[in-house]
Amino acid sequence: MRQLRIPLVIVIGLALGLGLGLLIGWRLYPTEFVNATPAYLAPAYQQDYARLVAAGYAMDGDLAAAQTRLRGLGENGEAVLTAVMIDAILKQQDEPEIRQLVNLAAAVGINSPVMTPYLNQPPEGAP
Amino acid sequence: MSRRRRRQLPYSSGGKRPFWQRISTAGWLLLGLVVGLSAGLYYSWVVDPVVYINAGPSRLSEAHKAEYIFLVSQSYAADGDWPQAQQRLAALEDPNLAGTVNALLESYVRNLAPPAALRHLAALAQQLGAEGGAVAVFAPTAAALPTPTLASPLFLPTPEPLSTLTAVPALTSTATLPPQPTEVFTFQLLSQEQLCDLDGAPRIEVITQDVALNDVPGTAVLVRWAGGQDRFFTGFKPDRGLGYGDFTMSPDVSYAVALAEGSPEVSGLRVEKCADGRDGGWRLVFQKLSNTPGRDNGD
Repeated sequence: MRQLRIPLVIVIGLALGLGLGLLIGWRLYPTEFVNATPAYLAPAYQQDYARLVAAGYAMDGDLAAAQTRLRGLGENGEAVLTAVMIDAILKQQDEPEIRQLVNLAAAVGINSPVMTPYLNQPPEGAP
Repeated sequence: MSRRRRRQLPYSSGGKRPFWQRISTAGWLLLGLVVGLSAGLYYSWVVDPVVYINAGPSRLSEAHKAEYIFLVSQSYAADGDWPQAQQRLAALEDPNLAGTVNALLESYVRNLAPPAALRHLAALAQQLGAEGGAVAVFAPTAAALPTPTLASPLFLPTPEPLSTLTAVPALTSTATLPPQPTEVFTFQLLSQEQLCDLDGAPRIEVITQDVALNDVPGTAVLVRWAGGQDRFFTGFKPDRGLGYGDFTMSPDVSYAVALAEGSPEVSGLRVEKCADGRDGGWRLVFQKLSNTPGRDNGD
């Protein structure tokens, strides 16, 4: 009887231990997540980051730096910029910000008819 | 004796029991628990850890945080929207945000970043209440810069009383004073602070730096006092910095310090008591100005 009981006890112990370990590792004390790139930001923060990149481009006209920053948002960096820009236009948000977004979008090759009315001011720092 | 012998009989007849037969049921359970726990932790921490998406800026790497702060400074410079800049910076969850922005500004200064970028970062740091040489130099208004005592009367001719200038109104009724030449200094005073952590006699410490706040050795420093003067050079105590030089003070003597290449004169420097009762000296930091006038030559 003891011969049969021991493996059963071991299996129960293993199962309990494994469950406890997963609970601790995934829920209670998950791996500290640091050193992220902007690609891991929540959508709202990604959109805000795209606005910041556009403002930065408006200030210094450094397209290469702006493109690098957009790439930091991951594969859909330009898609985020496009979405933010169109959203800003459709909601008629702050016009200077719309112009910043449109200028950056145009510079990276995004084209949309909604951009046309805002495409008349080059960035301040552009050569 | 006999009882003990009877107990030992099974072992002596059947041989020693294997170790696993000597482990109790609770022992096996505990063993399984420990092995399972270890395996679970290894799997959840190493093999397949939780990867968060939807992170906030506080999870960004240091390099990306720096980039984020720089972009916030650019955006703030563009729209002047301080509440929005504050909200964005708050997402970094940095308890020492002013210090972080100030450190970033200083790193930009050392890396010879464009003046516009320095100005934007300095403005942000200033709004956050950061104090430092770089903020004092590049922020829109010189904040945190102690008011120096300039142009000590000790070295200037005694101004004539106003009454002697207006004594002949008939001749100078419409006269205007000729424009006074504006003195152009090679160095500006960055900071002036009392020294209370002295390990010797009270002294005047002078530190000379260039535009990028790097130490400048070999700068002649003039020290004057009533009845005497002296000069020393920076850079002769490299263990304290290439731009460092000092001068031992005597009690009850008022000193005035200026750089031979041209700088505002800081006067009224005396040995003063520190909070702990010890005699304190002074530390003056001078920064070399660029040759071109103004700060925006790189825009």
